[in-house]
Amino acid sequence: MEPNLGTIARSISIRPNREETGLESLQFREEIHRLMIVPPENGSSFTALLELPETQAMELLHSPHSDKGVTVPLSGVPLHGINDDHKSYLPSFNGNLTFPSNKVLIERAAKFSVFASGEHSPETSSVPSDSSANLEKVKSEPADTDSNPNSSQLLVSDPTVNIKNQRSEKRKEREKKGKGCTKKTKIEISQDAEKLPYVHVRARRGQATDSHSLAERARREKINARMKLLQELVPGCSKISGTALVLDEIINHVQSLQRQVELLSMRLASVNPRIDFNLDSLFAPESGSLVDSNFSSMVSPLLWPEIPFNGNRQQHQQQWNFDALHRPLWGREEDSHTFITMENSLLSYDSANSASLHSNQLKMEL
Amino acid sequence: MISKGATRNSNSRRIKFARRFVSALLHMRNQNPRPGSLSIEGSVRTRSQRIKIAAYLSMAQAVGSRRAWSRAVLSKLGSRARRHMRRMGRSSLGSLKKKRVIRSYSPGELGQAKKLRQLVPGGETMDICSLLEETAHYITCLATQVKVMQTLADNFSK
Repeated sequence: MEPNLGTIARSISIRPNREETGLESLQFREEIHRLMIVPPENGSSFTALLELPETQAMELLHSPHSDKGVTVPLSGVPLHGINDDHKSYLPSFNGNLTFPSNKVLIERAAKFSVFASGEHSPETSSVPSDSSANLEKVKSEPADTDSNPNSSQLLVSDPTVNIKNQRSEKRKEREKKGKGCTKKTKIEISQDAEKLPYVHVRARRGQATDSHSLAERARREKINARMKLLQELVPGCSKISGTALVLDEIINHVQSLQRQVELLSMRLASVNPRIDFNLDSLFAPESGSLVDSNFSSMVSPLLWPEIPFNGNRQQHQQQWNFDALHRPLWGREEDSHTFITMENSLLSYDSANSASLHSNQLKMEL
Repeated sequence: MISKGATRNSNSRRIKFARRFVSALLHMRNQNPRPGSLSIEGSVRTRSQRIKIAAYLSMAQAVGSRRAWSRAVLSKLGSRARRHMRRMGRSSLGSLKKKRVIRSYSPGELGQAKKLRQLVPGGETMDICSLLEETAHYITCLATQVKVMQTLADNFSK
């Protein structure tokens, strides 16, 4: 599918370079109709469609009814009637057409087109949300949107406005190509910028190409890539558009996770003093999720207590002296060994009657 | 997409965290007889505070020193910090922080960036770019922490 889409874009782009005529715009509009109408009928006829614009454009213009099963309203339709059909086909276009979500095409569309501005929001609203998200990403360069007032959503737009779009787009294409020879070239898509080891820069019209703005642009691309990652991490964030709301969502997520940790620690604190805390019951149900072979092998020797009772008592007293502060000891790496021996002693208590043991320890302390 | 390497990493991280945390809990159990003087509710509160600290500390240790946030947690809750606290009191930690003027390089993000810095440990002295990266890693680690603690709590309360 991808090479065909490339040919679509190329075929559309080749056109604008010729002289502008009313006929040209009509042909262009016809092509757009073909693109929009045929896919809902049959996906495979799409590739056939690609050949049509280049070779049989004139034919199509005079006999709009194609042999691909285009619906009747289109055949022999006058130009002004196209507007209504356009609108009726837009929803189906959204549903069945998949190539707007194709990133390659979006890249090319972004290259040829300029950013969507507010005045074309009615058209952009009908664009599939995926492509709009991608175009928005390109759009997010703050300084750029102001300089480019026209949008050219090549595939979906009102035909009357489309003519304007085509003309401005053709102009910009030519200018850009003129500029492109002299300036450095840059691929304006963030995903490419992330993949390449170094970045070629093509300046858009009216943009500075000095090192500062380039560096800023690279920085922005980096930040946008990280934001995208975060959006994927946080559930329910991919629908939200706009950095501010996404950041709010991320902050909420982090806060909720921290609150969950607090609640769970309270639960564990209330559960912990339970005297029959038995490691056997702990590890058996958790074998699927938490315990690997090492873990269980570490624990199982602990279940065989061999340490005399008095020695344990002394160890405990030392522990209490250390723990004058409300901080756990396990911050020190070197103490890990003592913990394992501690666990030995703890589990030896387990097998015995730990309630009596605790009361004994209390007496000792007092 | 989650590659195979990422899942292996996350699994080993989860297991390391679980190991340390459970050992910490066992150690904690040892101190039960102590709060004979405190009320029951007070003891639960202090214990839950300790458990929370244990959880964050175990997670930071499981991650290691690779990440800025884990280094910040370890320095905040580590043994050196405890010795500092013992000798000099809480005010010393404030002076230990680096004094750095925080500039937000991307406009319009000031409020959220500040909040995020306060949430993510060690986030005060980072620029937005690395802050976002650390946040992503921090979120994954928090999620595993919550999962492990959840399973533990469920098993204990059975």
